Amino acid sequence: MKHSDNGFFGTFGGKYVAEVLRAPLDELEQAFSEAMADEEFLHRIEDEAKTYTGRPTPLLHARRASEQLGGAQIYIKLEGLANTGAHKINNALGQGLLAQRMGKKRIIAETGAGQHGVATAAVCARLGLECVIYMGEVDMNRQYPNVFWMRQYGAQVIPVTSGSSTLKDAVNEALRDWASSYGDTHYLLGSALGPAPYPDMVREFQSVIGNEVKRQSEGLQVEAMIACVGGGSNAIGFFSPFIEAVEPALYGAEAGGRGDAPGDHAVRMNGQGSIGVVQGYKSRFLLDLDGQVQTTHSVSAGLDYPGIGPQLAHLGEQGRIQFCSIRDEEAIEAVKFFARNEGLCFALESAHAGALAMKLAPDIPPDRAIIVNMSGRGDKDIFITARAIDEQQWTEFLHKEVQR
Amino acid sequence: MPTVMTHMVAWYPDRDRSLEAAAALAAGGASYLEIQFPFSDPMADGPVIQAACTKALEAGFTLSGGFDLIRQITSMVDIPVYIMSYASPAVSMGVERFVTSARQAGASGCIIPDLPVGCDEGFFAYSKSIGMDAVPVIAPNVTHKRLEEILSVSPRYVYTALRAGITGTQTVLDQPLIDFLSVLSAQKVKVLGGFGISSSEQIRALSPYVHAVVVGSHLVRAITEAVSHGRSVSESIRSAMKQWEQ
Repeated sequence: MKHSDNGFFGTFGGKYVAEVLRAPLDELEQAFSEAMADEEFLHRIEDEAKTYTGRPTPLLHARRASEQLGGAQIYIKLEGLANTGAHKINNALGQGLLAQRMGKKRIIAETGAGQHGVATAAVCARLGLECVIYMGEVDMNRQYPNVFWMRQYGAQVIPVTSGSSTLKDAVNEALRDWASSYGDTHYLLGSALGPAPYPDMVREFQSVIGNEVKRQSEGLQVEAMIACVGGGSNAIGFFSPFIEAVEPALYGAEAGGRGDAPGDHAVRMNGQGSIGVVQGYKSRFLLDLDGQVQTTHSVSAGLDYPGIGPQLAHLGEQGRIQFCSIRDEEAIEAVKFFARNEGLCFALESAHAGALAMKLAPDIPPDRAIIVNMSGRGDKDIFITARAIDEQQWTEFLHKEVQR
Repeated sequence: MPTVMTHMVAWYPDRDRSLEAAAALAAGGASYLEIQFPFSDPMADGPVIQAACTKALEAGFTLSGGFDLIRQITSMVDIPVYIMSYASPAVSMGVERFVTSARQAGASGCIIPDLPVGCDEGFFAYSKSIGMDAVPVIAPNVTHKRLEEILSVSPRYVYTALRAGITGTQTVLDQPLIDFLSVLSAQKVKVLGGFGISSSEQIRALSPYVHAVVVGSHLVRAITEAVSHGRSVSESIRSAMKQWEQ
């Protein structure tokens, strides 16, 4: 199914929130459906997407990478070329304009890797809205470049130190803020999860990726499409126009982290997650037997969320999307491979999709295509990738920089 | 002593002292005990209760241990005991099994704020079928239509968050709030009102408008202070509750 049925995708989704959030969610749902029927609003989004985001983003034929792997032709959707460096801007822009249409003056958002925070801060700067970003302290430490840019865009970045100090805790904090501030504040949730209407709304604003791919891939024999899946906003937007068809095959790459033990990965599908209700929606989550949310790990800050968007969970259960897990070191190898062979700098998150393409391509004939969504570019990851790839030189550089 | 529902977190700061807290709350004059099962992501709670939940989980709380504690408390006190939980533990166990276990442990009902009427996994219907109270949580921003939906499950009690927001922030009793409570009181339902109640003045001010005043973060904070100063938990609770009588 493409849209939710009253907030539900099969048995997943819903509006499992404390009553205080019901009214703001209902208001948002109403405002969203009105805005999407308003031609002027849609034109405004389109215009901003073109002039500010830089859409359409290219679909690149990765010829050398395809040759190296000796199978399917690899095409890469370069979402990383969107302004602010990732697909997150599509949703931030859509919701930012919606918030403005609703008369809200203040935007709050959570961020994990920081890409959503950066996109939100940028959009707020452009639209003249006050912006507060909640970010786990652990994530702030590993994604400092993004923290720096959010502040330059005028956002207030609030460190979250509760729980595991990562994305899920930032979501909790943002929801708490919203519970008492919704009168003048819009909660600009960054992924296709949370209570209704967010999964539908975020998918719609991200579906521009898939709609462009559909046009750009005309004439290609597309065998498979691959996206990384944290919460799943790039994946659901990329897959959106293809969900109801039988082809091409759709693959989601989850964070396999450093091993199979609980706490070492963020693999929610393939039997490792269990059905639960957390953060306002029903889906698959990494929970212990008592329903407590487990800690997760991934080399990429954007993929270590313990839940998955309800529509993706539903499509996984239905068999429309296949999920595979990619280990940390495989993602790093993919960053190196596409840098060397195509001059592309994959974000660590998107590199999980790249790594899965490297696994699948050799078994698919060369007259077929597979399309990888490079949801973001990897400049922000330099503190992680540089250490992983060449620790000595990187550490020497950092020492010199500190002494300067 | 006004009618008060006191809130505490199971296993905070550890099993034995949470049992001690329950005994002290009952002895101090509480009319109802609300005992929260700690959750890793208590998104409707403020920093005081979230920190208590984290500590309680570190102290080894499990669901089976939690129901066992409730059993011990209900056999010890002669006031009704309600279990407050987030949806995740209840859904993981199975909502019917969760409610059944609560009943077997002697609890009178459950409060699960993120299983609202309509998105409740059978919580309200099943509770009713076995004679347990499923207590909906509402907020002053509830619309008339939504309130009707909630009251259509004919709850004996409703739990009212009196301030738009999270637990532990100060509640000011203004006219719109009083109007809201008056509308509720006109219904055939007993109102448990709380969130941010910390002084005897607030308790007295609120008492005429509700069936029972819920006191939460204030008492959890008293326990936190007792622990950090090495004082007895029951002593701290006793002195906190003494002030309400004045």
